Amino acid sequence: MTKPPIPVGILSSKSGPYQAMGREILKSALMAIDEVNQSAEFDFTLAAHVRDPGGVIAEYHTACDDLIRNVGVEHIIGCYTSASRKQVLPIVERTERLLWYPARYEGFECSDNVMYVGASPNHNVVPLMRYVLGNLSRELFCVGSNYVWTWETNRVARELVSAADGRILAERLLELGESRVEHIVDEIVRRRPPIVFNTLVGSSSYDFIRAFHAATAGLDIPMLSCSLCEPELKIVGAAGAGCLTSSAYFESIRLPENRAFVARWKARYGDDSSPSVDGQSAYVAVFLLARALQRAGTSKVAEVRRAAAGHRYDSPQGPVWIDGDNNHCVLTPRLAVSNAQGQFDIFWEADAPVKPDPYLSQLDVAVRPSKDGRIPNAPHLRIVK
Amino acid sequence: MSKPSSFSLRGRKAVLAIKDERDASIVRRQFDRLGIEIASWAPGEPLDRPVDLILIDDDFLPVAEAAAFAVPEGCAVIVLLGTETPSRLKLVLDLDPSSFLVKPLRSAGIYAAVVMAFERIARTADMKQQLAKMEARLRARRVVLAALVQLMHAQGLPEPAAFALLRRMAMEQRKTIEQLAAELVAQSQTPRAAG
Repeated sequence: MTKPPIPVGILSSKSGPYQAMGREILKSALMAIDEVNQSAEFDFTLAAHVRDPGGVIAEYHTACDDLIRNVGVEHIIGCYTSASRKQVLPIVERTERLLWYPARYEGFECSDNVMYVGASPNHNVVPLMRYVLGNLSRELFCVGSNYVWTWETNRVARELVSAADGRILAERLLELGESRVEHIVDEIVRRRPPIVFNTLVGSSSYDFIRAFHAATAGLDIPMLSCSLCEPELKIVGAAGAGCLTSSAYFESIRLPENRAFVARWKARYGDDSSPSVDGQSAYVAVFLLARALQRAGTSKVAEVRRAAAGHRYDSPQGPVWIDGDNNHCVLTPRLAVSNAQGQFDIFWEADAPVKPDPYLSQLDVAVRPSKDGRIPNAPHLRIVK
Repeated sequence: MSKPSSFSLRGRKAVLAIKDERDASIVRRQFDRLGIEIASWAPGEPLDRPVDLILIDDDFLPVAEAAAFAVPEGCAVIVLLGTETPSRLKLVLDLDPSSFLVKPLRSAGIYAAVVMAFERIARTADMKQQLAKMEARLRARRVVLAALVQLMHAQGLPEPAAFALLRRMAMEQRKTIEQLAAELVAQSQTPRAAG
């Protein structure tokens, strides 16, 4: 018997400044959809309708409108930057659709019509800063893309650094897609900050990492990131090694679910390719959606939203579920250092999934950093051997 | 004690007077996420607990028991607007709101409205303090002038030099110019009154 298809929209940019991540999101979503369609667990199939806004912000609105009006989708997976999400938010809210948003983001939003599957700020920038302030340095040099993710991530960093009597030495911003990074690298070489916090995205980040690596060899200036991932390490090559990165997903996670996922990924996309954090998150989003559809017995948004809340899924990144209080994902924060093989060596992870705090309402900035290697305010973090 | 940041809302206390249950549930959910403590309240009832924030639906306006509705000092008011007609806005302005939200509510906008309301209250309190200081100075101007004239006569100084002397003495004694001036005037008046 043929299973009935449920149309699902995918909004992902295959060109533009963050095309690499857009492609990863698309690849992972399509892989997950194929797996759902072949699984006996589901009594429906998912029919993917892919739209490519080409990295042009206004096109997200047009493409989303097309998916809803002309295809009739109730569920959409995609968007990468917050600007792209904000473009589709009014349409999905007005038409009562559900956007399954895979990227980690800066928080301070909580729409009933979005499932925030990626990391919240308390999952990424907070544990990273706690670790750095307690173990490495209380002075940061910040360089980032000139948009909301950087602004807000740097604001949180500044609050935590200031509360620890530290200092933000500089905050340098580049427009999205900007490739002239030399003046910032020159300034870093001249000033020798103890640490550089990189919140650049896409091609600007790759250009910066290469130039930084070439200019600072032997200076021992570690770099921090909340977004670097394996496919990007392949793009930047050897220059990407040694970056201290905060993420919910690394290819090197030693879980059976992840090993099986990586094997399926490589079988599909080639041995030399790697899944990424945002891509894996799109994969998770498809499975959270499919299981919620199955339990709800309908694709109606209100029922799917209810069915998704609190349902645990043992995903490649470990157990995750949607927190019904705020539609954000409960997940496990991790810290790792990138190595010369284009992988990450994980050295911290939470010993239990952490509730999302999109408004950082539970964050106590006044907690002092610790010298004993523990991350204050994050009692669940443990060292991964 | 340092003032709480307007961005940090955990532990703030709010009362809600919202007619529509859907709007009320959106506010309650968002306040739970933000760590704001909530109690419901009917306009006209006395506010018998410490409150940082009042959310009031314009459907309750005008408040019948206006006399009972005294907004506590330092408490922010956010009004929920259903219509933008001047007649309704006039009633809204009578409450001197710090911020507003437009009905029907959605989760987006609530955090910003609350932050703006608290920031407005904090800045207004600063401004009131400044104003009180300025008023006190203005009131003291006669006394400062009297002290200045007294110094000019006693020391044979021109006005700029007398003022410089007054300011230096105030600094040395860690007093404001107004305080010192009042003391000088009082001292000079006592013997005259006695004599």
